[in-house]
Amino acid sequence: MTDKPPILQVTDLRGWYGESQALHGMGFVVNEGEVVTLLGRNGAGKTTTLRAIIGLLRRKTGSVTFHGQEILGLPAETIARRGLAYCPEERGIFASLTVEENLFLPPVIAPGGMDVDAILTLFPNLRERWTSPGTKLSGGEQQMLAIARILRTGSRFLLLDEPTEGLAPVIIKQIGMVIRALKERGYTVLLVEQNFRFAAKLADRHYVVEHGQVIDSFTAADVTTKLDRIQTYLKA
Amino acid sequence: MMELLGISAPLLFGQLLIGLINGLFYAMMSLGVAIIFGMLRIGNFVHGAMYMLGAYGAWFLANLPTIFPGLGLPAVNYWWALLLVPPMVALVGAATERVFIRRVYDLEHAYGLLLTVGLGMVLEGGFNVHFSAAGQQYGVPEALKGGVNLGFMFMPIYRLWVIVAALVVCLATWYVVERTRLGAYLRAATENPDLVRAFGINVPRMLMFTYAFGVGLAGLAGVMAAPIYQVSPYMGQSIIVTIFAVVVIGGMGSIFGAIVSGIMMGVIEGLTKVFWPEAASTVIFVIMAIVLVVRPAGLFGKDTVSHSGNDISNVRRESILENGQLWLIVLTGVGVVMPFVIYPVFAMKILCFALFASAYNLVFGYGGLLVFGHAAFFGSSAYVAAHAAAVWGLPPELSILAGVAVATAIGALFGWLAIRRQGLYFAMITLALAQIVYFYAVTSSWTHGEDGIQSVPRGKLFGLIDLNDTMNMYFVVLVVFLAAFAFITRMVRSPFGQVLKSVRENEPRSISLGYSTDRYKLLAFTLSAMLAGLAGGMKAIVFQIASLADLNFMTSADVLLMTLIGGVGTLLGPIVGAVLVVTMQRELAPLGAWVVVVQGGAFVLCVLFLRKGVIGAFEDFLARRANRARDK
Repeated sequence: MTDKPPILQVTDLRGWYGESQALHGMGFVVNEGEVVTLLGRNGAGKTTTLRAIIGLLRRKTGSVTFHGQEILGLPAETIARRGLAYCPEERGIFASLTVEENLFLPPVIAPGGMDVDAILTLFPNLRERWTSPGTKLSGGEQQMLAIARILRTGSRFLLLDEPTEGLAPVIIKQIGMVIRALKERGYTVLLVEQNFRFAAKLADRHYVVEHGQVIDSFTAADVTTKLDRIQTYLKA
Repeated sequence: MMELLGISAPLLFGQLLIGLINGLFYAMMSLGVAIIFGMLRIGNFVHGAMYMLGAYGAWFLANLPTIFPGLGLPAVNYWWALLLVPPMVALVGAATERVFIRRVYDLEHAYGLLLTVGLGMVLEGGFNVHFSAAGQQYGVPEALKGGVNLGFMFMPIYRLWVIVAALVVCLATWYVVERTRLGAYLRAATENPDLVRAFGINVPRMLMFTYAFGVGLAGLAGVMAAPIYQVSPYMGQSIIVTIFAVVVIGGMGSIFGAIVSGIMMGVIEGLTKVFWPEAASTVIFVIMAIVLVVRPAGLFGKDTVSHSGNDISNVRRESILENGQLWLIVLTGVGVVMPFVIYPVFAMKILCFALFASAYNLVFGYGGLLVFGHAAFFGSSAYVAAHAAAVWGLPPELSILAGVAVATAIGALFGWLAIRRQGLYFAMITLALAQIVYFYAVTSSWTHGEDGIQSVPRGKLFGLIDLNDTMNMYFVVLVVFLAAFAFITRMVRSPFGQVLKSVRENEPRSISLGYSTDRYKLLAFTLSAMLAGLAGGMKAIVFQIASLADLNFMTSADVLLMTLIGGVGTLLGPIVGAVLVVTMQRELAPLGAWVVVVQGGAFVLCVLFLRKGVIGAFEDFLARRANRARDK
């Protein structure tokens, strides 16, 4: 652990969809340059947590600080401009936009984002599909585009929601390489995953989420010793 | 003289030119409506008023010296108007979005509809009060006077200019939306506004600019129209329904579709004027119906995701307000006393409209189908009943029955066409279909146009009861109303009613449970049309008249207002709403031209402050009290 205060701190976060409560006091921290995962089963509240952080969940209480400043309750567009970039679970590729238009859609919010050449080096497949409409892409290409477009913006903090869901092993491997490359470049990543084997190879720390709360946490070093316990958590 | 198909060439080309010009105005207008509809999910009924605003803006600027004598203001010419007025109208639009439209984004479409209809009434009514309905002339600018002889016809230069300018505006808009970075933001926000926000784009502000832009286009069309058509308060209202039909034909989310079908419909309308003049006012709506059967998504539209269910009613089944038997007794008691307390004819009017609103509530409140053309059933039945009694000499019971039969048949047909689409689309389609009936009544001979069918004899019920006696008539109306109320109560509680409510709350889930929801929706639609017909037929006999007002889309708006103001999806709401609205209309009558303005204001206020309606608000109060009692 570093001495610096955490870059993202979530405290006693509660959230609701209409009348039903989905988050029951989430709490965790992410430090600069870390890859941190939220692990847990379907419906545990991982995606809801990301939506609450980025400002898309309407009803929520508690505290989320980013660089020491409270961001809970700010509109999503303001939060994004503070330097948080969001890649949703359903990938959110716009059907009526081409690959190029999708890539250039998120506005640049800070200097230091990747340029198109750097992005296409990371995701060579996108070059061939440059002018295709967004929905003509395969699932893997869509996922790459969804990650690629937030790298242009200059955000240094990425919220990735299940980037491996429903993808072929070879693509998952490629996405793993991308996340590792991003970590080397100093990006901070909060990763939501159900695929523990994928997450274990990447993350510095893990939080286990159940019923809208963090029920356990461990570091990359603990993984081998706590493997049994982790697997019980995640067993459906 | 040259002749083509027995039609003289100048006439043919003249009508083609008029059609083309009209079509370009349709295109410019429906472009704005389509963009606003796609992005904001608002059926912008105030669009016609904004067009009118543009035309008046130009007229106003040109007449500054006469309007404000003594200030030494210059007359601002057409070219400056073209430059100044659209941004001013856009500014009005931006303010409208900020103050009003923004509040209804997350609500059921009915609220947006009623809100924009209300705003349109306030604007158009206000201009009508100030300038009176008569049109103002606006001269063709000096540089564009005269014309060229094309050999086969004479082409006024101003019209040529309109054709070129409108085409350029349409294509430029298309280019910006479909081909530029700015347009990409718009398209993305249309698909998934939340995600676009999460990228750091201020979507609410973008929505405001979009609305302002769409409305600005209407203002521009208004300026361009000023030298061609008369500048009058209701110049926009007469084309707004056509615009909606054009958007339906072009297809959801298709800007290209709006342009092409706008021009096409104008030309087709012009041709119809040559070959079959009587059909000219309905041809666009008929084409819309055909397009719906062949290509439900519109000519250029992609099929859209249907909206998830929206529960508009907060009723608890066990609430005392929903106890049908209790309220049947109460209503009977009130009904018996009523003619001795208030003027019986007024009481009958309330009963007729309470029945009409209850019928509407059946399909909108319980079925969740936003119909916006119920006047078609009410009015067609009124006309048929009036005709049957006045011309065929049928007794009143058979006259009303004939009206009900026709309304039911029209209801089944319209329902069959309209249930192909959902939400706001459904509303526009029912509105356009209702316009066919309206224009049919305008042009047909047996309906006597503007006069309507007057002096309808009330006759003797079953040959026994003389309905010319007001009290006799009243109690007949009361019995019919109570019977219909009992029928509706029974139906809502039946398995059919339960399925209907489940469709309202979540249609995909109902489908997955194995219900063929379209059949339920169609049945509810047809029954509602039947009951609306009963109300209309009875109204024709009671008031001894059937008129165009019965078929006008304002009647459809009124019945929606009654249902909302009383409480959607509640048993008593439509009745309370009918009492309120009918009373309001009577109290407002002395205000003359102001009535429209005040009523439009009532629409707006109802949407902003009384969304659940009187009964809905009361139901909330009861539910809270019940919850508190249970918690103790």
